[in-house]
Amino acid sequence: MTDRLFPTQEIGSLMKPRWQLLGQRGEALDEAARADFVHWNDLLHFVPSDDPTLQKFLGDRSREVGAETVRDWAALFLLRYLEATGLDRVYDGEARRIEMYEYPVRQMKGFQFLGHVRSFDNKYYLKAAGTGEVRLDRPYHVEEFEFVRDHARAVPKLPITGPYTLADWSYNEYYLRRHEGWKGREVRRRAQRDFVVEIARQAIRPTLAALIEQGCRVIQIDEPAAGTHPQEAELVAEGFNAATDGLDAEFSMHICFSDYRPLFPALLEAKRCTQWAWEFANRDTDGRDGYEVLNLFREYGDTRQIGLGVLDPHRDEVESPERVKDRILRAVKILEDPRRIWVNPDCGLRTRRLEIAYAKLQNMDRGAKLARAEVAGTAG
Amino acid sequence: MQAITSLTSAFPRSEALVEATRDLDRGRTTPEAVQELYLRTEAEVARLEERLGLQPRTGGYLRWQDLFRPFAESWEGFTVGPLTRWFETNQFYRQPILHAPPARVAGAIASWLPLPPGASGPRKAILPGPYTFAGLLDNRSGETSEALTHRLGRLLAEEVQELRAAGYSAFQFQEPLLVYRPPEGARAEAVVAAYQALTTAAGGGTVAVWTYFGDAQNVWPLLNRLPVSLVGVDLSETDALALAPAPERRGLGLGVIDPRTSLVEDPAEVVRLARSIAERHHPTTLWIGSGAPLDLLPWEPATRKLHGLPAVRQGIDAASGAR
Repeated sequence: MTDRLFPTQEIGSLMKPRWQLLGQRGEALDEAARADFVHWNDLLHFVPSDDPTLQKFLGDRSREVGAETVRDWAALFLLRYLEATGLDRVYDGEARRIEMYEYPVRQMKGFQFLGHVRSFDNKYYLKAAGTGEVRLDRPYHVEEFEFVRDHARAVPKLPITGPYTLADWSYNEYYLRRHEGWKGREVRRRAQRDFVVEIARQAIRPTLAALIEQGCRVIQIDEPAAGTHPQEAELVAEGFNAATDGLDAEFSMHICFSDYRPLFPALLEAKRCTQWAWEFANRDTDGRDGYEVLNLFREYGDTRQIGLGVLDPHRDEVESPERVKDRILRAVKILEDPRRIWVNPDCGLRTRRLEIAYAKLQNMDRGAKLARAEVAGTAG
Repeated sequence: MQAITSLTSAFPRSEALVEATRDLDRGRTTPEAVQELYLRTEAEVARLEERLGLQPRTGGYLRWQDLFRPFAESWEGFTVGPLTRWFETNQFYRQPILHAPPARVAGAIASWLPLPPGASGPRKAILPGPYTFAGLLDNRSGETSEALTHRLGRLLAEEVQELRAAGYSAFQFQEPLLVYRPPEGARAEAVVAAYQALTTAAGGGTVAVWTYFGDAQNVWPLLNRLPVSLVGVDLSETDALALAPAPERRGLGLGVIDPRTSLVEDPAEVVRLARSIAERHHPTTLWIGSGAPLDLLPWEPATRKLHGLPAVRQGIDAASGAR
């Protein structure tokens, strides 16, 4: 894919521009949304300026453009946005996705949505129960990938929610009901294994196969729930293996905002995972080395690639190139092999304004360049 | 033995409240309109408690953003900190940051309790336990965790006194950390001292320690030393039949509802298990409720699960000859 040291990649979703939200709803653009579109299009040229539909969109006929066109423009915009920051692997900022749970679950049979559960404060998510055997209606993300494949100038990397997270964020009724008697810890553990593995085999694997069939070569399996129940790390790995069984692609596993230590060594049994793309920068603060946890890979002799989180997605502060460089070199020092390191944000930058995220990604690219120069200088 | 069925945690927000609070954040409704809906929904929870024979009444704690927020926002010494995962769940709380030894503000917590002063029947306050509170906050006050546990026990005891005066007769303290990360040595002694203060303040009212998210077996000897009316265990995590018999003249709480699954528990199976446990521990009172907090479920499935409790209570009463 790339021979240079410290290649860079995106990791997740970006904030949806206001013009996309208004356009998808068929609402007229306000002045700020229009100016924002013009600003980015002048910079990235994702819609030709003589496109008659564009004239409608920016004029007083934006309602006539249609949600599909606006979605395509948003996907193209975020693709060019990521490419412009110099990334080696890109996607579309998940421009067509609302979230990472409800959509995949709605593509499957055997689930029933029960209502909203609070995540925190006044934030909620719709939660489903597995009430029957898990089956796939049809592979998903495929059309989205085809669009990216057809337009990307850099290598596309597709993110998809992993089986463990889909199971953990659902209630398990069907597989629990199959176990008789009191549903104590051991029964719940066995039922959860059945649930995870069935989601992996029946829904995720066929979807991955369909994506690979369409040319998808690099796939990031998102398992943000992996750290929720550390004693189930073995199950995260088992789900990963079942989802990727017999498939030929590069698979990474993204985990964030978790205590990684208890996941070792069980998680390392995810044999088809070629890269661990984790969050580190968030925990790298004054007086605390966020990269110290990389020692665990040395401790357990795991030599796979590391997707090194160097940008904190929850802060507006734009990391300087020097800070990015320092973080990369810190990882080099621990891992003792610069060729294993990919550079990325900790997680999706969707909570940052697009100007901020852009500045962060640009500095990530600059920081990777500085690190390359320094390693080359040391080697020379 | 008396069997009591009770709400043992915050209740989920209704779908209408979900929508209204989201709208509030987006500036599409007013705080007054949401407040009005809270009042109506709390009244609905109180009616549900009455209809299902759940007592003492709680009102559901719908307004609490998390177990600690009213304290972090109203007691002195605190600020509200970052989002932090709530044990092994997909829920988060804002970690209270304690900058100085804490001080309570009279009347502040009472204003957060959902039941209006005129509500009928005995009332229960559900509050954070001193060990869990001390253990989950970010302590920058300079106090040791032992001293802080003890201090929080004393401050909560003052709350108990105030709430007694307002008509509360039962006080349930949420202590998941006791079973998730059991205290040892001086910290364990601080827990005992904190509960001594709370029981004294309750003046003959019921003081319950409710544990969940862990196996009570790990800390059962300490739980048996606590000078409280009853200790609740989460039956999804704890094999209560394997616990050494509980002390005499004490109640036992059984978290029979597992809110980590929407699958409704079979009342007959719950009765069988509860009877076996009662035969082993001979509790004076058996509280029956959810183990982990019910707000891990949406409103409708939580309500559906609670509807099994009257049959459980009747089954236990029939077996013990109570009328």
